[in-house]
Amino acid sequence: MNPVQRLIGWEGLLLALLAVIVAVNISYSPYFLGVENIVNLFQLSIEKIIVALVMTLVIISGEIDLSVASVMGLAACVLAWLYPMGVPMPLALLAALASGVLCGLFNGFWIAYVGLPSLAVTLAGLIGYRGVARILVEDRSIGNYPAWFNAIGQEELVGPLTISILVFVVLFVIVAIVLHRSGLGRLIYVIGNSPAAARYSGVKVRRVKMALFVASGFVSALAGLLYAARLGSVRGDMAQGFELDIITMVLLGGVSIFGGSGNFLGVGLSILVILSLRNGMGLANITGNTQTSVIGALLILSVLLPNMAQLIRNKWKGSET
Amino acid sequence: MAAGRLVDGRPPDAGLPPVLEMSDIAKRFGATQALEAVSLTLRPGEVHALLGENGAGKSTLIKIMTGVYQPDRGEIRLAGQPVTIGSAAEAQRHGIAAIYQEPLLFPDLNVAENIFISHQGRGAVNNWRKMFRDAADILAALGVSLDVRSPARGLTLAAQQSVEIAKAISLNVRVLIMDEPTASLSAHEVAQLFKLVRDLRQKGVAILFVSHRMEEVFEIADTVTVFRDGRLISTRPRAEVTPQSAIADMVGREVGLLKARPAVAKGDTILSVRNLSREGVFRDVSFDINRGEVLGFAGLIGAGRTDVGLALFGIEPASSGSIMLNGKEISVRSPGEAMAHGIAYVSEDRRQLGLSLPMSIAANISLPVLRRFLTRLGLIRTGEERKTAEAFRKRLAIRTPDVDLAVGKLSGGNQQKVMLSKWLNTHPRLLILDEPTRGIDVGAKAEVHAMIGELAAEGIGILMISSDMPEVLAMSDRVLVMREGRQMGIFSREEATQERVMTAAMGQQEDAAA
Repeated sequence: MNPVQRLIGWEGLLLALLAVIVAVNISYSPYFLGVENIVNLFQLSIEKIIVALVMTLVIISGEIDLSVASVMGLAACVLAWLYPMGVPMPLALLAALASGVLCGLFNGFWIAYVGLPSLAVTLAGLIGYRGVARILVEDRSIGNYPAWFNAIGQEELVGPLTISILVFVVLFVIVAIVLHRSGLGRLIYVIGNSPAAARYSGVKVRRVKMALFVASGFVSALAGLLYAARLGSVRGDMAQGFELDIITMVLLGGVSIFGGSGNFLGVGLSILVILSLRNGMGLANITGNTQTSVIGALLILSVLLPNMAQLIRNKWKGSET
Repeated sequence: MAAGRLVDGRPPDAGLPPVLEMSDIAKRFGATQALEAVSLTLRPGEVHALLGENGAGKSTLIKIMTGVYQPDRGEIRLAGQPVTIGSAAEAQRHGIAAIYQEPLLFPDLNVAENIFISHQGRGAVNNWRKMFRDAADILAALGVSLDVRSPARGLTLAAQQSVEIAKAISLNVRVLIMDEPTASLSAHEVAQLFKLVRDLRQKGVAILFVSHRMEEVFEIADTVTVFRDGRLISTRPRAEVTPQSAIADMVGREVGLLKARPAVAKGDTILSVRNLSREGVFRDVSFDINRGEVLGFAGLIGAGRTDVGLALFGIEPASSGSIMLNGKEISVRSPGEAMAHGIAYVSEDRRQLGLSLPMSIAANISLPVLRRFLTRLGLIRTGEERKTAEAFRKRLAIRTPDVDLAVGKLSGGNQQKVMLSKWLNTHPRLLILDEPTRGIDVGAKAEVHAMIGELAAEGIGILMISSDMPEVLAMSDRVLVMREGRQMGIFSREEATQERVMTAAMGQQEDAAA
């Protein structure tokens, strides 16, 4: 696809949408484009955005991971469970990350090696990992972490940027390079758009899928810890329901739910659209529920529009022959 | 076949007016003329057998009769009236029904529901009692004992075929097409099915019977029609046909359509396969391939040829038997292992299995050996990748403006060349080609054939699975024939004639053909 085609395609549409939203937002509040507002915008959703990066890879490979938010919650709860027991903080953090990797291994085993559908396996994970998280901390809210931990989520490190945002920037670059420039990224696309051809070409489909789910588990755990650091306390229902926002970001970015297509330009734009839309609606005093409905409508459109174009094209062809 | 069989078959009643007449039917798909000037007449109470190699045009004709395809030319008359059959539903209204090798029942519906599936009452409430009674009546009339209330799931294949036939009868069928209905039935079940067929014949139904089993055709048919290369070659009363004459008609094309590939000096043995078997699929396949040799795999579709290829490539590993490569016994459990041994498999299904259509030509060619094109950090050296693709584009004359173009945008012949490039890029010692020229135009076909010759001359061992008889005979140094999972024989180039190969593929005795 050349750049011109890309501009009149989905990414172009997102760019136009973004421009409209930004223009409207500025008319409501001249501070919208201020550095502080933009950083704040990112900071409020940074954990979801981080997970959306890996979710992009998972969905392009033709799978889905519904358990990400539960893994975020679980990792935070592992920390909240171990630290008050006297486990040193770094060790507790490692254990929390390891719990994410374990969840990823578990998902990946059933999906890649047993061949169960990821929708079912990770739905079970969504319920199961959340259950473990709740068992660990019950209905307490556990805080009082070392100051340096809270600083990770709150303190501005480089200019106005927090560690969370820096983690996002680094991850964005790495994941984008992996997807668009590396051999692994090539395999992710092939597995997504032609799974049978991938197997017939000697691609180790299972290993790639396993790697993706482990990466998804690890990054979700990392995001869960960043979230805990930002909030300063951990509860059993932490990050509950985040998976829907995360998947929305990816699909609105033009990544096909059937796998095999999509790119990081689209996902990046989609993140900006969602953030500025929510922010703008907040500025206009639109309630949270209405905001959610608007995002939902956008998501339906994002799935509908490309498919509709395809349907119309097919119909056209059908009437010709 | 003994002449005594005539007791059963009766000559078609020429006195009755035909129920279905097809005249001068033609159908073309792209470069392939699937049917040309075909005229076929079916009379009430006639079992009309259709014989022909794969690709002879039988399926296309059936699809025209059932409204799946529209003919480019020609006329269809039903009981004397010209008709068009625009859809499967329309075919049903005309009383034309088809049953296939694999019955297409709804497993969770019961037998009665399946029988009446296409004309259930449109009201909100089903009259179950009437439906069960009617279904039981139809089955009783057929002499089949089945519980009409039991779900179709779990019925034997033969019982499912009976339900299909009952379904056809409930639609007042006048023409029943049976497309290889016996292929997955046991001998006993075949006998049961044939009893039904005879009953239907008695009732005046015209039956078009397609089968690759010669003995069945001679047991049940009144008339035998042979197709070859999209043309109707002969239609004769069964009594005037012998298996040998039918086979001669099936393969009797002019020899020399394709120029034979010059033989290459024989090299060392690359591959030795002994008693290779996969349970329930193929059994005791044994052969050798030498350097520079092309071993043709002939047989009908479903004979298990592709399965042998897939076993050698590790997609569906064999369950027993040995594979020796360059004198060393190897086991191949995955495509990765096969590739490590220098085995490449070029699939017959380039759209699903062979290529990733949305991806570029260059990306497809590098896919099996992507590691070769990576930097130490795992990034793709796209320049290197494109250079390789360019080299293959020149070598195989792939017609494309750009190697970055999506493969799906190319013509079938060029896609085939990309697929060949992809596997040549793995530097194979043994190349398995599965239907290497299916669905591509004559020019591309000649180019692929030339390429096969070159590769053999370079010393690659080639196993070529092909249903294209002239291709098999022209390209192969030896021809292995398979039938229903068994190896029927290996013929040298001198021995391999169309008649011999087809006789073996149809399971007839060699001496009977002499």
